[in-house]
Amino acid sequence: MNNIDQELLENLIEDTSFINWAKKENRNDINYWNSWISNNESKIETVDLAKSIIIGINFNKTKLPNDIVETELNKVLTAIDSPTPFSTIKDKPIKKNILSYVPYGIAAALAIFFVVLVSNSNTTIKHETAFGEIINLTLPDGTSVVLNGNSFITYSKQNPRDVTLVGEAYFKVKPIPSTKAKFWVTTNDLKVEVFGTKFHVNTRDKKTDVVLDEGSIHLVLENGVTKKINPGEFVSFSKETEKITHTKVSKKNPYKLWRNSTYIFNNQPLISVMKNIESTYGLPVIFKEKNLEQIIISGGIPNQNIEICLKAIEKSAGVKLVKRNDSILISTQ
Amino acid sequence: MEFSPEKSLWFLFVKGDLNAFSGLFKHFYPMLHNYGVKISGNKELTEDCLQNFFVYLFENKNRLENVLNVKSYLYISFRRYLFKHIKKEKKHLSYDDLFESNKDFVFSVEEIHIQQEIFLIKNKALTTLINSLSTREREAIYLKYYSLLTTKEISEVMNITYQSVQNTLQKAFVKLRDKSESKALQHILNP
Repeated sequence: MNNIDQELLENLIEDTSFINWAKKENRNDINYWNSWISNNESKIETVDLAKSIIIGINFNKTKLPNDIVETELNKVLTAIDSPTPFSTIKDKPIKKNILSYVPYGIAAALAIFFVVLVSNSNTTIKHETAFGEIINLTLPDGTSVVLNGNSFITYSKQNPRDVTLVGEAYFKVKPIPSTKAKFWVTTNDLKVEVFGTKFHVNTRDKKTDVVLDEGSIHLVLENGVTKKINPGEFVSFSKETEKITHTKVSKKNPYKLWRNSTYIFNNQPLISVMKNIESTYGLPVIFKEKNLEQIIISGGIPNQNIEICLKAIEKSAGVKLVKRNDSILISTQ
Repeated sequence: MEFSPEKSLWFLFVKGDLNAFSGLFKHFYPMLHNYGVKISGNKELTEDCLQNFFVYLFENKNRLENVLNVKSYLYISFRRYLFKHIKKEKKHLSYDDLFESNKDFVFSVEEIHIQQEIFLIKNKALTTLINSLSTREREAIYLKYYSLLTTKEISEVMNITYQSVQNTLQKAFVKLRDKSESKALQHILNP
């Protein structure tokens, strides 16, 4: 224990970049820590210990057979249904009218989110998020997708590089240099065609927004027009209005994008910001005063947690937001 | 309020939804079962307790509206529930004695996973090493790497401070490293 630097040890264990190094997960972090270690030979024991703690012990999880779980569940359900004589709490008998089945349906739907959805047939795969839920997916070809709340993607098992998106997602497409295999994202308004790159797609509000981070992509619009986008550019197209916007993401232009669970708004009116909140969390927004709709917002807003998200908007717009059970109310402070 | 499938199910369960209750049961029963057998070393007792525990949850659902973290709440209350029952059988022991005297939190060779290229004999050595740690250290290791709880959640479940959890884990790993005589075994701990 004598060669252990206690303070360093505790910092290392909590450091995301160091954890990545220990798990060999991020090339930048691996390089960084390898060179840090060669410059800090005296700390090697502390580093080793921190690594052991992070990696820990790899356990084989013994899985309890499903039928045992089912049997036990039935025992519990029976016990609940017929309260034992010494149970002090009086249970009302459970009503079996039609209405009482409605929440069952909702619960069943929610329960499905525990597992990956396999819908329609065995060949179509669907990943879906509930309101306010964000999931990280890795497709069979190695492409990673961050799916925002209230969104879904589908693809066929035979061709996982051709996905359909409804909602909002961030894609990191894995390039396949040997075959130059393309990757497609299809929305209601357009088709995005890429080799390997990072980009954001949003299909809310009856239009599709695409923002490119890296590489280059082609868009095939629903009306047949093709467009090439360069990194840092933003394209918005609506099939309904045939309206197209193609600009560079810059400090002057209004735009909004989403990545790493954060919304980035640039010169956006409050009403458009709240539209995003509405579609992600499923809570309608009510403006008490009409003029509040046009307050301009710029900056990043975390959207993994609705409370923090609303606080951040409150601060940057200088308004008062009240979250009720079924809506969000906006008024002057 | 964070949105997660667990929380949504919990919310419906608190409102009295039996389907949501069954969903929670199926999700958490296997992990609580494993944890209970580890603590008590007694499968029948664990299963009896689990059954009563879930009935108890259902009967008291009205008081469970404000549970923030479903997983750690279930671990904490099931652990307490189980200890209460063990204590009934061994009246002479105090709560702490009971825990410290408990030699049952042991791991089997099959439970510990090592990359294939390393021989079974080393797996046995590592298992023996882990089982030579104190009960508290073994439980912390179990909760962290088997049940995948965070350090904060472990501190709540074991009812010790955040710092003590960190110290316990550190001590455990220092012991494991010091006791592993051969270099090869160190390699397993630190590949």
